[in-house]
Amino acid sequence: MKDSVIVIGAGKLGAKLARLLNENGENVLVADKQSDAFYKLDDFSGFTIVGDATDLDFLKSIDIEDSKMVIITTNDDNVNIFLAEVCFYIFAIKKIYVRLSDTDKGKLLENTSIKGIYPFNLSVDFFCQQEKETR
Amino acid sequence: MTIVIANGGHEADYIIKMFNNKKNKIIVINSDEGMCSYLATSDKISVIHGNPTKKYDLSVANIDNADVFVALSSNDIDNYVACKMAKKIFKVKKTIAIVRNPKNVSVFKSLGIDAAISGTYLLAESIKSETTIESLIKTLSLEENKIILTEIVVKEKYAVANKTLAEIHFPSTANISCIYRNPNVIIPSGKTVIRPDDRLLIVTTPNRQEEIQEFIQEGK
Repeated sequence: MKDSVIVIGAGKLGAKLARLLNENGENVLVADKQSDAFYKLDDFSGFTIVGDATDLDFLKSIDIEDSKMVIITTNDDNVNIFLAEVCFYIFAIKKIYVRLSDTDKGKLLENTSIKGIYPFNLSVDFFCQQEKETR
Repeated sequence: MTIVIANGGHEADYIIKMFNNKKNKIIVINSDEGMCSYLATSDKISVIHGNPTKKYDLSVANIDNADVFVALSSNDIDNYVACKMAKKIFKVKKTIAIVRNPKNVSVFKSLGIDAAISGTYLLAESIKSETTIESLIKTLSLEENKIILTEIVVKEKYAVANKTLAEIHFPSTANISCIYRNPNVIIPSGKTVIRPDDRLLIVTTPNRQEEIQEFIQEGK
């Protein structure tokens, strides 16, 4: 699908982002290895597909190169890094978000336009922000 | 040479035994504790129990500027990330990953892994060369596969046998650069007769290689 948003990994974060984008009128496709991951997508009118995203043939079959944004939120940091690099270097996707629990791996995203989402950094930022306000 | 061996079971063991000598320094990083204590019995190697895809564990292993990093786990993606960390953060010169899925050979290479090795891929390649290049003894590729040097032993039934080079109209896309006829080496001219048991050394480009073999064998 031209100009669609592809979410890889239908965990809590992936499912939530998919629903938000869907409500905003985006064309959303959610991919996950396991079909039972999709139960989190109630009142979601986008598409879902079961498949292994680390297989390039699968990514080609969902026309990933035509998407305008890819959001990568599987529960494995290494898979996330790999998929982000595949999307950036092989499929030349302009907008890529990737969730990484291990902030050290963010170093691998240097010199790319891939945007890392780091729960660790967000928690630290939130704490510091709160402390500043109460002081 | 400093060689880092990340994960792996018997593969790791084999490579350590092969390279553990005065010339090399071997660093092992393995996420399996039992494997670590087993590998630590080899002399003079440093063994770190840790996850080779974690920056902290790699820094404990002290792999900065190592010459070669070999990732041997059974998970292709983990091997990819370990190699990338080694190269980008620790400036390791060459990274090699073992892959289970043969499709990952080309993917990993295009993403900057120096070598990706798949047993299945190698098996398929060797089956291919066993079946198509029947009597070919050796091929050597030069200049990153732009030039191929092929050695063919002439058999009695071959189309070119017992003819002069002028008679066979050898294709212009290749050149018989020399003929080895025990014990002599002949630099051929148009009058040279090709005989059974001659070894022809042929220079060609990769896309013409099969064509030339067919020509020698069948005269096509």
